[in-house]
Amino acid sequence: MKPLLKRLWRAFCMMLGNQPALSRYLLPIIQQFSPGFLPGHFRARVSGKYWATADMLQLTFRVSKRWQGFFPGQHVLLTLRHNGRYISRPFSICSTLADWQSTRSIALCCKVTSGAEFTPLLNQLQNETVVNISAAQGDFHWQQPALPALFIAAGSGITPIASMLLSQRHWLAPVSLYYRYRGSENAALLVQLKQLASRQPLFTLTLSDSRVEPAADMTNALLPQAKDKQIYLCGPAGFMQQIQQRLTEAGVALCTIHKEQFGPALPAIPCETITGDADESARQTTFIRAGSPHQVAASTQHSLLHAAEQHGLTPSFGCRMGVCFQCVCDKVSGQVRDIRTGALSGNGAEQIQLCISQPVTELVIKL
Amino acid sequence: MKLTIEQFSALEHELDTVKQQVKAQLGEQDARYIRRVLLVQRLSAISGRILLVLGFITPWLWLVGVLLLALGKILDNMEIGHNVLHGQYDWMNDPVLHSKRYEWDIACDAGSWQRTHNFEHHTYTNIIGKDRDFGYGLLRLSNDFRWRVRNLWQGATYLLLSMFFQWGVSYHELAAQRVFAGKKKADRHSQVSDSALKKAFFSKGARQLIKDYLFFPLIAGPMWLWVLSGNLLANLIRNLWTSTVIFCGHFTKDVHVFTAAQCENESRGQWYYRQMLGSSNFTGPTWLHILTGHLSCQIEHHLFPDIPARHYPAMAKQVQAIAAKYAIPYNTGSFVRQYSTVFGRIMRYSLPGGGKAVKAL
Repeated sequence: MKPLLKRLWRAFCMMLGNQPALSRYLLPIIQQFSPGFLPGHFRARVSGKYWATADMLQLTFRVSKRWQGFFPGQHVLLTLRHNGRYISRPFSICSTLADWQSTRSIALCCKVTSGAEFTPLLNQLQNETVVNISAAQGDFHWQQPALPALFIAAGSGITPIASMLLSQRHWLAPVSLYYRYRGSENAALLVQLKQLASRQPLFTLTLSDSRVEPAADMTNALLPQAKDKQIYLCGPAGFMQQIQQRLTEAGVALCTIHKEQFGPALPAIPCETITGDADESARQTTFIRAGSPHQVAASTQHSLLHAAEQHGLTPSFGCRMGVCFQCVCDKVSGQVRDIRTGALSGNGAEQIQLCISQPVTELVIKL
Repeated sequence: MKLTIEQFSALEHELDTVKQQVKAQLGEQDARYIRRVLLVQRLSAISGRILLVLGFITPWLWLVGVLLLALGKILDNMEIGHNVLHGQYDWMNDPVLHSKRYEWDIACDAGSWQRTHNFEHHTYTNIIGKDRDFGYGLLRLSNDFRWRVRNLWQGATYLLLSMFFQWGVSYHELAAQRVFAGKKKADRHSQVSDSALKKAFFSKGARQLIKDYLFFPLIAGPMWLWVLSGNLLANLIRNLWTSTVIFCGHFTKDVHVFTAAQCENESRGQWYYRQMLGSSNFTGPTWLHILTGHLSCQIEHHLFPDIPARHYPAMAKQVQAIAAKYAIPYNTGSFVRQYSTVFGRIMRYSLPGGGKAVKAL
């Protein structure tokens, strides 16, 4: 019944304003009265901002009543309007469920990369500025709190994990966290985690400073504990790969390892690295077509349109020279290069023209 | 006037530079401009529809309503729809003003328009046999086409086409694909099946008809006839205006026409050259440029179809200087002068003979 009504309403809106919802037709008028309004997104008002570490900015937002909440460990897309464009990036929520329930506010820990397009703007946000966030997304959350668990975090990978641990009210099984960082002054959320360790006997915190301790020492220390536990892993891509390899070698089942793939925010790859491995021929690209993903190795020398077609996908296209905009697609994540100008895109969600885009990093694209 | 290979690549470089300069400064001002046009469009369409009903107070209100609704439709089709569907504002990542999501207040489905206009017309501009926009398969506009008896009354055909222009545009792709009648052409390939074309044509057309001739008259109650006739008149004004503007862009006296053989393996410089020869501008005040969606700068639009159109008048000065440097004819004039040559052309070629428009490249 409900889907039918929804479809009828959508057809009615299309008839009336050629937009799938009346809010989209009326958008320019609504935005006159309510400047932060953006369909499909929620309003969030900046209520606090402080540097958790030298390069990690913690932003607190009061979120709209319509926002449905989150599972600790999930992330949101934060959207800003900058120089006429809407730009967005994913950030993990680092505050607790209790904070949201009592004050309707959430905190995002954002690693600020100087010279990047997005993150330096965060420091310019003033109190009471309205930005937009998406619904909470991602399946990286603590699924079975009754089972013993091992958490492994490195660098800014601590943010989703801290949210899970600090939100937990009823502790049922022993839980340990290995937290690796470069110098304790760069360790975000360390104070809160230490407090938790001192008041909760089931929680053990093991710290590892990469300045004094080699990575292998930490891995060796945690390996004996990994058997028969749920494992939650978040950190830089190289770190996660290493740990996962050691864990599987030690006989840990893959299905017990939960990980956050992209981390809080992907740093932009500097240009030297890109030209350096330009002849290294292919990038893993996931084309999502009508909901189902297709894994494709896309050549860095050809357009993404070419790659999709070679693999039997049939994206719409036209001029193949960047003029007609029939091949515009939503890029979910990853970086591309404009074949014509060599300009690099951002890492976040945005639209690209397949026919003039070459892959630079791994990509996820909705056809 | 034939250019050398070196001159073509120098031309390409100069025009690319003009484009890059504008592209580098796109930002807040462009976003604010197009959002303001969208706001004016919404307000004029909505207030126009309200005033149509208030015609019972005085018919003058009805008349203002008709003009406002026509203005809303013209802004939606020209300065917003046509330009957004070209992807001029895709960089904004806006939920509405995006080439993949925008749908406009006209009978033609946006996807069909992008295939026939953005791709076919803009890639193969004025190539005989490839650009169906040259005469729309209805009008004989040069002696490169064989004369037929039906060309005798093409003045009347033109008038009818202008009055029902939105339906001509919306039927354009189905006619090319011979969906309902005629023999399929072997050299035409489509990414879209005939049934998908039909579905888009009928559903979009029906939505537009239901809105203007059923829904709004019905909710107007006793004022239904006023609303119905007001909508009919607003659509007619929009049709005549868009058709007139578009005819001035490619059918003026001095535009050039090309053969497919001439354009094989052309470089980007040669493509630019063909766009300049195949299009024509007309001059006028800022409000006229906005009402035409800046198609008054058809030459610049064809050179830089994905640059936000408000930059065209400024770019036109640079392009005209470049054209003069390479001795490329730059076709511009007042609106009245340009339109009279269009009308003259339609009338001249309704009779047999006349000059060939194909020029050497």
